[in-house]
This record gives sequence, structure tokens and C-alpha cells, in this order.
Amino acid sequence: MQNLEPYWGRRALDFVDAIEASKTTACVISQFERMIGNLGFHAYIMAGIPTSGQSLKQLTVANGWPAEWFELYDRENLSSVDPVPRHCYNTLNPFEWKDAPYDREYDKPAHRVMTRARDFRFHEGFCIPIHYDDATGAISIAGEHPYLDPDTRSALHLMSVFAHGRLRALSKPASIGPRRLSDIEAEVLRWAARGKTAWETGQIMRISERNVRWHIEEAQRKLMTTNKTATVAVALVNREIVL
Amino acid sequence: MLEIHVVRKDNRHLYERYFDPYFRLRHDIYVKQRKWMDLDRPDGREIDQFDTEDAVYLFCLDNGQLIGAMRALPTLLPTLMSDIFPYLNIRGEIRRPDVYELSRIFVIPERRGEHAGPRVEMLLLTAIMEYGISIGLTGFTIVLEAWWLPRFERCGWKAHPLGLPQPIDGMSVLAVLVDCDEATWKSLYSQIGLTKPTLTWRGLAGITRQALPEISTLAPPSVQPTR
Repeated sequence: MQNLEPYWGRRALDFVDAIEASKTTACVISQFERMIGNLGFHAYIMAGIPTSGQSLKQLTVANGWPAEWFELYDRENLSSVDPVPRHCYNTLNPFEWKDAPYDREYDKPAHRVMTRARDFRFHEGFCIPIHYDDATGAISIAGEHPYLDPDTRSALHLMSVFAHGRLRALSKPASIGPRRLSDIEAEVLRWAARGKTAWETGQIMRISERNVRWHIEEAQRKLMTTNKTATVAVALVNREIVL
Repeated sequence: MLEIHVVRKDNRHLYERYFDPYFRLRHDIYVKQRKWMDLDRPDGREIDQFDTEDAVYLFCLDNGQLIGAMRALPTLLPTLMSDIFPYLNIRGEIRRPDVYELSRIFVIPERRGEHAGPRVEMLLLTAIMEYGISIGLTGFTIVLEAWWLPRFERCGWKAHPLGLPQPIDGMSVLAVLVDCDEATWKSLYSQIGLTKPTLTWRGLAGITRQALPEISTLAPPSVQPTR
């Protein structure tokens, strides 16, 4: 390991430097697509894994899947049965799709997703789980015969994580001043702004009502407001949330 | 009351009683829980060759109980990256007076991921940046597990990779250089909703400290609700 030919290392670092210097999401995406294309991949997605009440579309950071697959996946909510996103909850490390475990005999829905994916020439895939405290996502990349030796995997891992981070940074809404709310606090406030009670928000987001109240109190503390209405108002005016 | 204390050779005598629990916590977390067996020692304390008098510690104390900590080492002296994981850094060795290496960053399991008040993990990250700004640092090197990268990105820590992630003890690990600057500190500050500096400098009056950016300018929301 100590004597690695640093070819892939240099290449990955150059890629990250270029990504960090890029000013638009289009520029980042075109470099990312060229890079994975050279490694034999033709499709990818970077997205949060939907929990109940969320759609894949709203959680997508970058969509490089064939339109037909994305539509199918979103419409049939395949992320709930697909073994690849499921495995993201169980590991911190990147993995190959073939290593996402499922019972081929009894888990028919999972097997069906993996089989249907082959119709789109997704013969092999590589998935990088993204873990936050309050959400899980993934960067998932697929192709027919991609290069997946250990060095390439490491490079692909590094380049993908930084491309994902840069895309998120470039697509954040321009708020007035630095952002103070966490993603989950912002989401709770967005539902409050739409008139949902804490209980309703809890049902929608599949978290407890108590938890919802907690997030509202945290947001209130951060924005130095006195009640829920004022918190929503200040968050809207400062563009911490956008409806 | 949560306090984060700067502990270094100049004031270590004030914190002697915390060092035994500190090394025992490290053993619990890194040897017993995470199974880094190379660090195992028969006396149940995890102490390594980098715990020298030049190491700087941040101790997070809650009513006198140690609940989290972090260690910073000057990169002019031997570090984990220079002595143990040199192959993780292919950009060239970093030995600079304005860069420290961070290691052994932990919060005890009972206090992880709390929702009431700022999270201890975030407080520690903010505190070390406050320390860096105060003593004139521009960056931190860290050898860390790769799954931290999206968390750093999300909280505003700007990490620059120094080489490829490599599998070590079943985890994907890499070396990074993180910027230490006022913008990052301010952004962390407002994200966790703090209104005053986090660090306690007991017994360190003799140390020259650079002024922190004015916090009062960032505390109020851009639009104040009328009261």
C-alpha cells in the first residue's frame, strides 16, 4: 500500500482542484460525467434516500440516470425495495452493487429492481453512502464494464464525494448572511409555513411530534425569535427557507 | 454548563485530575468500541507517542465531567501523518508553524447527537477553529475516515484532500488539510446559534491571542422580529 504508483492519486487530486475552482453546477457536472465516462460508467445519481412523504425528485442533487429509469424509479418508489440504498444504512464505506445483500429467493421486489436495472445496461455499479445526522443519501454510479480495481475505486470515491459537495455548495439558495438552520430544521419550518401542525409534520416526516417541536425550538433559539410564527417569518425573510 | 477548556503545557497542572479519566475514555472509545487494537495497553489507558508536552488538548467539560475532547499537535514535530500514515499524503509533507494536526476527536456515546442546545460535536469543531484563529493558525491536517467529508462540507469546514482514501482496519481513511479562517468560524458560529466565544483559557493569561472577529455583528438575524 505504501508503494502505490500515485497515478490515480494525482489524477483524483487534480480533479478535485478543478472541481473546487468551478463556478457553476453545469461545469462540475460536465467534468464529473467525463471522468466517470472514462472509467466505463454511463449513468449516475446523487440524491438523498427518500423516507415516507419525500420524493426522490426533491432530494436529487444531480441526476445522470436515463430519464426513463428515473421516472420509473420515482413513480414506483423503488428506493424502498432496492437493496443498494437499503445497504447504505448499514455501511459507512463505498460498495459495489453486487455486494448489497438481499435474498434472491424470497426478496422478489429487490431482485426485480436489480433485474430491471440491467435493461438500462446497469450491469455493474458502485455506490458511496452519504451519512448526515438526520439523513442518508448516496452517490450511485453504473455501467456495463467499468474499471473497479482498488485504486480506481479509491479515486472514484474521492472525486465523487467532492463533486457532490461542490454541487451542494453551488446550489444552495443565496441567503442573506450565513445559513443558520440545519436541513431538518429548515424542513420542519417549511411544513409549518404551509400550515402543518407539529403532529402533522411528524406524520409527514416520519419523526415524532416531540422531535418536531425540538427542531422548532432549536430554530427559534438560533434565529432568536419568541414563537413558531416569528421563527417561520424570520426564516422566510432571510431566505433560510424558500417555499 | 458546557465549557470547552484549552489545556496545554502552560496550564496542564490545573487539569491533572482530568488526564486519567481522559486516557481511560480514549481506551474505551478507540480500543474497546472501535477495536483499534494497535493502541491497546494493559493498563486500560490509551496514550501514544504523540501525547507529549507539546500537545494541546480541548476538554469539553459539563459540570466538571469530561464528555468530549480533541488533541492538536504542531506539524513541526512528528505527527500521525508524518510518522504513521505518510502514504496518505501525496501532496508533500506539511510542516508549518501555522498548521496543527487534529486527532482523537470524540464525544462520549451518551452525549452524541443531542438535540437540546448545540451539539457537542459541532461545539468542538467550532472551538478548535476559535483556538486556531486565536493563536494565528491557517489550517489543520487530519487523518480521518472518509464518511466525515460530507459532514464537514455540510457544516462549512473546507477540507482539501492530500491523497486517496485507503482501507485501514476495514474503514476508508484519508488525509486532509482543513482551512482555519474567520469566515468558517463565523459560519459555524451562526449555524449553531452561539452568542459568545466557546473557549475557556484558564491559567493562560500569558499567551498572546489574536482578537476574534466581532460576534455581535453576526448574532442578530438580518431582520429582527418586532417585539
